[in-house]
Amino acid sequence: MNLQDMLDAERATRLVNEAVRAAYEETVATLNRNGFMPGVLAEEAQFPDFMLPNSEGRLVSLSGLLARGPVIVQFFRGEWCPYCRLMLDALVTALPEIEALGATLIALTPDTGAAAHDAKANYGAAFDVLSDVDCGVGLAAGVVFRLPPLYKARLITVGLDIPDRHGNQAWFLPIPAVFLLDRDGRVAWRFADVDFTHRAGPERIIAALRQLATPE
Amino acid sequence: MELTQVRYFVALSRSLNFTRAAEACNVTQPALTRAIQRLEEELGGALLFRERNLTQLTDLGRTMLPHLDAMLMAADSAAALADARRRQPVASLKIGLAPGIGCAAIAFAIREVAAILPDLMIRFEEAGAASLIEGMLADMLDCALLPQDCDLPDRFNHWPLYEDRAVAVLPTNHALSGRDTLTADDLQGETLLHGERCGGFAARLETMPSTGYRFRRCDGATSHMLDLVAAGIGVALLSERIALPAQVTARPINDPVLTRTVRLATPAGRPQGAAVSGFIKLCRARRGA
Repeated sequence: MNLQDMLDAERATRLVNEAVRAAYEETVATLNRNGFMPGVLAEEAQFPDFMLPNSEGRLVSLSGLLARGPVIVQFFRGEWCPYCRLMLDALVTALPEIEALGATLIALTPDTGAAAHDAKANYGAAFDVLSDVDCGVGLAAGVVFRLPPLYKARLITVGLDIPDRHGNQAWFLPIPAVFLLDRDGRVAWRFADVDFTHRAGPERIIAALRQLATPE
Repeated sequence: MELTQVRYFVALSRSLNFTRAAEACNVTQPALTRAIQRLEEELGGALLFRERNLTQLTDLGRTMLPHLDAMLMAADSAAALADARRRQPVASLKIGLAPGIGCAAIAFAIREVAAILPDLMIRFEEAGAASLIEGMLADMLDCALLPQDCDLPDRFNHWPLYEDRAVAVLPTNHALSGRDTLTADDLQGETLLHGERCGGFAARLETMPSTGYRFRRCDGATSHMLDLVAAGIGVALLSERIALPAQVTARPINDPVLTRTVRLATPAGRPQGAAVSGFIKLCRARRGA
């Protein structure tokens, strides 16, 4: 089963709950309606250079990584999100192939502290998990949105303390977009969808990476 | 949401004047107006009242402003830090430490910032919480490590960084130094040295029902108190993070466990250089980990 099949199965199970369905549908409908997508950094655009802390307390710079080859910047919501967990699993499995193609994968989450650390430790992830503190890089990439009321209420109901995880009261999250950057930091390919259960499986990322390495 | 929309909104919220905000952002007024309208569509409501001679923030605008401002600063500082790595500007980091709080827990963050800014100057100031807060407001300090229980004005951001736990510091030849852990009862009959640098741990034993402790007030530097412990004058209850000289040893206290939360505080909405914003992000990313 590929990643999207697993995500679809997960969604089908979860949306049986009416409150979950309402919160999900509200989020997707809001982002479809309010002109969110045109703000997402497009192919050919320059991805702004940044430096962020990783979960081990080191600073990681995009330009430093680009000096070694193409970089895959994957935004994710946090380890609390079941769809993100499936995605992290798939990325861990795909990492050797990504690295064999000379690319570096980094995953950015607005989670801070132990929450960000767990996202890496619990998956034995060999890629860097960076804390996008206060969603700054997410904003620069155009992937950040304010949680609509039902979805926010849903997270509170299940006891998820987003303000504690993010270290702010803003209630913003990124859509789980992924950007493939060429060595000049330009977006060679990207996947972005307002539906957080739709994600680019590693096979699509790897295909884009191969295309970048040997354009037809 | 787009970076430019947020930048225009933050500029407009400062001047409350479309013409001046457009000038400040170096765009035409219609472009600024369109960007604000799109941000309003995305956030689901008006951010500003636009009347003939008056522009004011709506309730939604006032609620969103600090969050959008923080996000904009985070975006700018992530870029500024990457830029500083290339340019290596002269930078400084002025950190306040409240009584009894050391810098061991934040040293990793200073190391990271110093690695990209070789000319970084670092200054610590140890003082009471009130004086550190004043120092931050007067721009003499960038941030401070404070105990959880001190009052902070509204215009501060703060994050819990770590749990500080008390240990009993004894002379190495003390009878209790042979034990792995201690309880408050074990310390009955001992003289407990306590002072402003002790994190208030000993004071908490004072409020407990058992009263077999003798307290001796001892203010001043932690190193002086450690000398007194080594000389056998008493036992000190200090943070487990304080480095000890050879003549004394520390034992954890398990019953009760005495802890306090140490938080990082910084004035909200103030522009920060790459060193300061990088340091704060590193601390926030690692807190509790």
